[in-house]
Amino acid sequence: MQKFFFRKLKEVLGRDRAASDLAARFRAFQAVLDGNNRTLEAMTEMGEKLGGDYLFDVNYTKSAYVHLHTAISDSLRNFNLLTGHQYPQLGNTLTRIDGLVQRMLTSAEPLSALLLVFYPEITWDLAEEVGGKNYHLAEMANSLNLRVPEAFAITTAAFAAFLRHNGLEERLGGLVTADNADLAKLRAAILLGDFPDDFRASLAVALEKMRDRLGNGATLAVRSSAEEEDGDFSFAGQFETVLNVPCKVDEVLAAYKEVVASLFQVNAIAYQRQLGYELGKLKMAVGCVAMIEARASGVIYTVASGKDRGRMAISAAWGLGKGVVDGLIDADLYTVVKGEIPRLVERRIGNKAQMVVNRGKEGVEILETPVDRRQIACLKEAEVLDLARQAQAIEAHFKTPQDIEWAIDTTGRCYILQARALRVEELTEETAQSLKTAEPTGYPVLLRDQGVVVQRGATAGKVFLLQHLDELDKIPKGCVLVARHDSPLFVQAIPFLNAIITDIGASTSHMASICREFNIPTVVNTGQATVVLKHGQEITLQAGEDGAVVVYDGIVQSLLREERQTGAKLRELYEFRRQKYIMRYIAPLNLVNPLEQEFVPEKCKTVHDLVRFMHEKSVQALVASAERKGRGLGRFFGGQNALRRLALPIPVQLLVIDMGGGLCSGTGKKEVDFAQIASVPLRAVLAGMLSPGVWQSEGAALRGADLLSGMTRAADFAGGGDGLAGYNVALASKEYVNMSLRFGYHFNMLDCYCSDTPRNNHIYFRFVGGAAAITNRSRRISLMAQVLAEYGFALKAKGDLLVGRLSGLSREEIEKILSQIGRLIGYTRQLDARLDSDEAVATLSRRFLAGDYRLDL
Amino acid sequence: MTKHSIMFIDDEKIVGDMAKLSFEQDGYEVETFLDGESALERLQEKRFDVVVTDMKMKGIDGLEVLRTVKKLYPGIKVIMITAFANLDVAIEALRDDVHDFFPKPVKIKELKASVKRALGEA
Repeated sequence: MQKFFFRKLKEVLGRDRAASDLAARFRAFQAVLDGNNRTLEAMTEMGEKLGGDYLFDVNYTKSAYVHLHTAISDSLRNFNLLTGHQYPQLGNTLTRIDGLVQRMLTSAEPLSALLLVFYPEITWDLAEEVGGKNYHLAEMANSLNLRVPEAFAITTAAFAAFLRHNGLEERLGGLVTADNADLAKLRAAILLGDFPDDFRASLAVALEKMRDRLGNGATLAVRSSAEEEDGDFSFAGQFETVLNVPCKVDEVLAAYKEVVASLFQVNAIAYQRQLGYELGKLKMAVGCVAMIEARASGVIYTVASGKDRGRMAISAAWGLGKGVVDGLIDADLYTVVKGEIPRLVERRIGNKAQMVVNRGKEGVEILETPVDRRQIACLKEAEVLDLARQAQAIEAHFKTPQDIEWAIDTTGRCYILQARALRVEELTEETAQSLKTAEPTGYPVLLRDQGVVVQRGATAGKVFLLQHLDELDKIPKGCVLVARHDSPLFVQAIPFLNAIITDIGASTSHMASICREFNIPTVVNTGQATVVLKHGQEITLQAGEDGAVVVYDGIVQSLLREERQTGAKLRELYEFRRQKYIMRYIAPLNLVNPLEQEFVPEKCKTVHDLVRFMHEKSVQALVASAERKGRGLGRFFGGQNALRRLALPIPVQLLVIDMGGGLCSGTGKKEVDFAQIASVPLRAVLAGMLSPGVWQSEGAALRGADLLSGMTRAADFAGGGDGLAGYNVALASKEYVNMSLRFGYHFNMLDCYCSDTPRNNHIYFRFVGGAAAITNRSRRISLMAQVLAEYGFALKAKGDLLVGRLSGLSREEIEKILSQIGRLIGYTRQLDARLDSDEAVATLSRRFLAGDYRLDL
Repeated sequence: MTKHSIMFIDDEKIVGDMAKLSFEQDGYEVETFLDGESALERLQEKRFDVVVTDMKMKGIDGLEVLRTVKKLYPGIKVIMITAFANLDVAIEALRDDVHDFFPKPVKIKELKASVKRALGEA
């Protein structure tokens, strides 16, 4: 008897823990959402203040960052509670990001003490250590899978170690007042410098590796890679490059010293002054890059001219690229129209009288080109287009026009040797002054003062009216994307867009952050853009700082010219750039689609990534724990009067667990009806399920299995010994519902948060099962997918499993979609017997969306 | 037409640098100073139309700049910007006939509008 009593007590206490655990998890979930919100708000605020429209100082940046860091830390702490520390990597990532930001804020030394890094090991957080040029080249190999030569970087930490070893650090401090003679002395001291032992030793190891990979005869180009080189500024031609350096320690060290010394050449110092550098602060990394035996090489400008951003220019000549870069040779010139399928539209064959060739130890030599090759095109059309595609990928990745060097070796392999930002011509001051903000005449106004300006700017292009998310990869470059909702999935297209206009959306959404980061003029929440603007129509969008929005019919050149000149020069302030660079570790979003394999903690590189990851995984964790705790709790909650049977006029038996505010107060003890549901999302989905015509119970639709399980399982919950196992359960609070519905072999799971803050809102919908033949089951999935896609769900379907996610919509939108899901649940429950052809799927999904729920075909 | 001249005083270089670039684009002549002392010295040699000063600086602070300018060059308009906006300071500045008062970060467009008003252009 006593034994029995204790067993019973233990059981009850265990359930108590389980229940309070669920409540605690729910609180943690809400705290994650809250922390994420504050983080996104702080991020938006910082992005705005550091964007060039405000005068700010370092104190502002510091305090704004502290605010942001506190918010994301709160979020992470609660996330760890919620998930039971399932993703410890996130904490490490935040620490790394914090380290990088602090370093930017305090101009501290790099964190890493690495002296050498091979390109494949160059990760996002090593950008400063390896310098701009190395980082860009490695990034093209590592992120874009383009072919770049074998290479390693000698880091800025190695640079600092070299200077320290030779007692040169203090001399850098005196550079501000240095004259040309002082600079010459400094360069001489560098050229005579000696190397620390570990520097030599690690170089020896790296060079042995290079010889193993490339053969003993291989040579290297030893090139500068200063902090910002090839970033906002190219430093083109400022520093030394030593070609054809054998893979031997002494030779490479000698070349290294030459390159490092060039940092202190008179012209290079002048350039640094111009860019607002504090002299002596610029650190130089060096790249050791395998030389390519080039059959032909050249340069690509991804924007052929300031007037036409839709075309790129590719120049090519025989041999090494030096001839083209230095403008020595009358090179071939290929003009390509950019696009999903680039087109070669013009080919001008140069008279290439000379070519630059590699002469091994003797360096490079300019030779006469054999007469029969002079007027032959260096590139076949296929090669031109291949280069064009690579160039487009590079431009899209770095988000600005690029100046790219390439080479094709004697075996026909194409290498990217360098990519840097291309400055496209800007307007002169006089023309800028003459343009005033008068309203343009002769252009009909299509929209005025509707919507919320996410990113200001004036821009023009053809409207691309997005109907379905799967059209995203069809969007042409340079168009104005017009869509019903905003979506973070647009990120794949955003770099190519001129503007985005949506009917619905918020200025704090993920997409909005991305648009600001990419500087894409964006207006959301216009209510009717998709109705007013026509696919293919040419329009001009003027989105003002003050929130004024005007959309004109046609291309208004005067507005566009004016836009280009404002605020352009601030980039030339080093301190401004440095503060702004902090945003690189905060704002970009790399994790876009939660259904992709890339959606893993290891891929989080920015604060925004962390927010996105935590949001997604919090939902999953809450769903998982609600599913787990939903079983075995029946009596406990029953005892607390929190569990009710829901009486509905349809054959669905559902138990509701009230987690706070889910039911109206003063409800009956055991049973409630629809009118007593206070939970916003539960009400919405039930309203859909109760829609007239949806719940067809007549005829063949209700089959044996459905009847048996769907209708009988809810029976008498109070008497059951197995808690809630197998019952249909909804956990509900005022703004949240997690509902599991099983009909025979069909299983629906819905998790939804629906509040007045759109950013917090999400719908997660999962559907599995079905007893019919597999083809019919897949057809049902396909029908559901077609309907859900209509509402912008991110969907994943496999066999008879369908997972859909949607977030960031307003409460009204969520309610509307939930009702539709309710209808869909009822409608598809009995569907697969009917779906004997793909045409039937198309017909029925069309009908369903039109509100016609008849099943007969 | 001669250019209007503006003096910017802020102990953080980036503020003056950004202001200089932004205002020069609009055709103003701009000089920047990192402290009140050197700014007041320069005022003895050159007449400026508007002085924009940071509030909190080592040595001569913004309020002192304001008072000195008002006493010695009453025609010059002074605009104050400060990261430490508090009511007392604002009231004191107003009492000393400050033309305008902005918390940092300040929107460049608003500062430009204020300068225009100070010059009687708007």
